[in-house]
Amino acid sequence: MAILPVSHSLDAPPAETIEQRLRRLQAVWEEETCVLSNPDAITGHWAFQEIIGMGEPVIPLLLRDLEKEPHFWVWALPVMTGENPVQPSEGGNIRKMSEAWVKWGREKGYRW
Amino acid sequence: MVNHLLRLFPRLQAGNFRVTSPPDREYNCIAWAAGDTHIWWWPTGDPRKTHWPTAAPRLLTLAAFRDAFASLGYSVCESEELEPNFEKVALFTDLPNGIPTHAARQLPNGRWTSKLGYSEDIEHELRDVEGTIYGTAVLFMKRPRPLPLGQS
Repeated sequence: MAILPVSHSLDAPPAETIEQRLRRLQAVWEEETCVLSNPDAITGHWAFQEIIGMGEPVIPLLLRDLEKEPHFWVWALPVMTGENPVQPSEGGNIRKMSEAWVKWGREKGYRW
Repeated sequence: MVNHLLRLFPRLQAGNFRVTSPPDREYNCIAWAAGDTHIWWWPTGDPRKTHWPTAAPRLLTLAAFRDAFASLGYSVCESEELEPNFEKVALFTDLPNGIPTHAARQLPNGRWTSKLGYSEDIEHELRDVEGTIYGTAVLFMKRPRPLPLGQS
């Protein structure tokens, strides 16, 4: 798996909120995968995996992002929830996939 | 704006490439080479994750990428040299594993256009994006270039 040659401090500041931790990890992940096309390489990055590991509390923030614009959180949510509202015919259409997840979130009662 | 590209691709230098679009998460290099700006193309196992032509296997092999472009009318050719009336694509694989990493499409002026992951599109010389991230351009394919509107 190709990981871009960038190094970062992994030290987390104390008392991070969930959103602060999400954005810190997201920034590292995006900087180190932004020129990759392989979804397995993009989502296999340690920071993306750490976001997935944040679990239920971060899901509303991911859904909020998806409502704003298409995002690769559509590749995290199936792992986090065990569900997938995306139809096979929509695979790769990040915009439609994002819309499907926002709809799913509302139906599940998430608020963001 | 382009500093990260200069850092990631050492052969790119200000003046020998230009950014032609802003970053976009909706399509990747394979889609861009295929002329699609709305879908993420990659042969992942789960069709709910990415698009891949049905005529090609969902395998991370150069043969699968060759078959995907063959389904669009491309056939394998010998070189990256500009041939009038033909549109070419270049497929890249990493070293030493031969795993596909990237695709670029040749422009009528002989230069190449690439979508860099979910970052920008750029116009560049083909070999300037080779290196540790994309490896090397190893396979070239071509198809007749569509005629400009009004010509037949």
